[in-house]
Amino acid sequence: MLSIISLSLFGILNLFLGFLKSRRVLLPATLLFIALAFAANLLDWNHQYVYFRDMLRTNNLFINFSSIILLTTFLTVAISRSFGTDEEHTHPAEYYAIMLFSVVGALMMVGFENLIMLFIGLEILSVSLYVLTGSDKRSLRSNEAALKYFLMGSFATGIFLFGIALVYGATGSFNLSAIGSYVSGGPTTGISPLLYVGLLFILAGMLFKVSAAPFHFWTPDVYDGAPTLFTAFMSTVVKTAGFAALYRLLTVSFTGVYGLWWQVLTGVTVLTLLVGNITAVYQSSVKRMLAYSSVSHAGYLLIAVAAKTPQSPSAILFYSLAYSIATITGFAVLILVAEQKPIEGRPDERYEAFNGLAKRNPLLAFSLAVSMVSLAGIPLTAGFWGKFFVFSTAVDRGMTNMGMVLVVAVLMSVVGVYYYFRVIIASYLKTGDSEPIGIRPLYRFILVLTTALTIGLGLFPDVVRQLF
Amino acid sequence: MPVFYPLLAVNSAIPLSYFVLASAALFSIGLGVVVVKRNAIVVLMGVELMLNAANLNLVAFSRYDPDLKGQMFGLFVIVVAAAEAVVALAIVLLVYRRFQTVDLDEVNEMKR
Amino acid sequence: MNVNYIWYFLTFLTLVSAIMVVVVRNPIHSVLYLILTFFCISAHYVLLNAQFLAAVNVIVYAGAIMVLFLFVIMFLNLREYTAESKTNLVKLGAAVLGGVLLVIIVAALRSMQIEPLNKATYNSQVGMVESLGKVLFRDYLLPFELITVLFFVAMVGAVMLGKRETGERNF
Repeated sequence: MLSIISLSLFGILNLFLGFLKSRRVLLPATLLFIALAFAANLLDWNHQYVYFRDMLRTNNLFINFSSIILLTTFLTVAISRSFGTDEEHTHPAEYYAIMLFSVVGALMMVGFENLIMLFIGLEILSVSLYVLTGSDKRSLRSNEAALKYFLMGSFATGIFLFGIALVYGATGSFNLSAIGSYVSGGPTTGISPLLYVGLLFILAGMLFKVSAAPFHFWTPDVYDGAPTLFTAFMSTVVKTAGFAALYRLLTVSFTGVYGLWWQVLTGVTVLTLLVGNITAVYQSSVKRMLAYSSVSHAGYLLIAVAAKTPQSPSAILFYSLAYSIATITGFAVLILVAEQKPIEGRPDERYEAFNGLAKRNPLLAFSLAVSMVSLAGIPLTAGFWGKFFVFSTAVDRGMTNMGMVLVVAVLMSVVGVYYYFRVIIASYLKTGDSEPIGIRPLYRFILVLTTALTIGLGLFPDVVRQLF
Repeated sequence: MPVFYPLLAVNSAIPLSYFVLASAALFSIGLGVVVVKRNAIVVLMGVELMLNAANLNLVAFSRYDPDLKGQMFGLFVIVVAAAEAVVALAIVLLVYRRFQTVDLDEVNEMKR
Repeated sequence: MNVNYIWYFLTFLTLVSAIMVVVVRNPIHSVLYLILTFFCISAHYVLLNAQFLAAVNVIVYAGAIMVLFLFVIMFLNLREYTAESKTNLVKLGAAVLGGVLLVIIVAALRSMQIEPLNKATYNSQVGMVESLGKVLFRDYLLPFELITVLFFVAMVGAVMLGKRETGERNF
């Protein structure tokens, strides 16, 4: 709760900092704000609180999820440039403030106890992202992405809202536990069909936001068109918050109808894995490949949700952590490499841009390799354990139920290896003729940190896992 | 305080499902607008129609609720819709400035 | 007189004006029909005893949001009739989609339990601002406070996106 309040205030403070002449202070100040919110968040460790007449619940799960969200936000802000070179067209104070505000929305989605909190949290997060997507005003692609994202996103909001209305009609409440007791308690007249339709609508809305197939069609264009920094932000924070919310909603409120949503989710999972991985193979741009890869990772995360075992939350947590860190590293390297040799004023995001990276910048190439290996799920990296924990929840649920999903997931992991390794091959085995890229100290520090975290979590997963 | 007895007579006689039916029809029309229309602003209107259909549902179900939860949610939805519309029109202006059109088929830089 | 006629008339008007939003080609006419739809929805709210919400709906939706829409449309001078490029197949698909959706919801509704309204205990003043205010500041204080964050985002975002940068032309 303290983290939500402090982030809201820090966001406003950030807007005021925008009045200062010097822009130098913005980046350290924002990092400090996020660190403070992170610390405030940890204060409640091992305590359970319910705030404001069952609106928000904080417990260790909430703290874990929000810590991951705050960590990824910290990393994203740290790799943002100083925006100092382009005084007229950038508004860093606004960007940082909107990012802080969007984290408020994400935390509301993680800790909601009432559907109204979920709705408002989702809206805060989405509206912030629409704005951030369009923030590069001179870029046609950014404008187009913002328009598409907005239209698709608000369409999903409408469906989601209609679902909430139907569930309210069936149960007479927006409170998670009240809905849960209606669904599991088995009302004398039987569960109203309105509830089923409402649940399906809510699922469609939520799956849309986390970009699971067949609701993923907006993802490639939006992720491709948005400024790369914000692509990194939305492909990590939205996934973490979205899956936290989805898991919480489905397990607290709709455990009683597990038989229904389990079938829907497994179907969506299989489709997401297939579509995400197979289309990722055919991309010629690394940024688009990462967009499709984020679709496929939504599929892996859905496995843990559909399995619904006691280990599911910790599997989702570990996977989100590993995925977020590796994705941020990947995008951080992409930003630097792509800006080196722009084509027609646009950053060069093709695979060829990575040629010979290992000779020029061994650190960049190594960070990139580790992050790609982690995303592919090769042992000794965090990504391997993420996949391992997710798959073991499915095994716990039973092979008769989840066998098909598991087979598809394992096959698609192999497909994933192909497209992730294309980048590594380009940077290590092919030769390029570019100059070495200059890296600022903070940027270098973040790359070293995320690489170390990925390897560290791969070697000693239990260090973090015992917290979850 | 005035008490609208005639109104009470009217509204208690209409079954709740009538309102929910009306809202379902409105929702479908809104969906149709979003799918069929190519003008970004008209698509936005379709979304507004969908939000209103959901709102009508919420208010209708709130009739038997002494805590007025549905009406409260409806109030929040109106507020959220206002905030969304502001951002939406800012984005539309931005796009128009660049593309000189708001036709969704022509705003298609990425496929080129 | 059967009071249900009021409902029939209102719903007829609502649906017809909503359909007209799709049918007409001129965006300005679309907006005007949408405003009519919103007025009808407000009338529905009154029938449902949500008087305050009805007022808010007229003020915020028909008054503010739709005027904003009209403003933008006139600002961009979008009066020309744009041809619909979608094929008939897509339109058919949309119609089928909407129809299926409607059927699902209607099927779900058919078995809905309706308790009759008790006229003795029913309070027609329940949707007035007094009772809503009590609920808002008692139960819904946290969302009420946090929605300000959404306003901040919308405000900052709209200004940031809409602001004319140096060197850009003014439409």
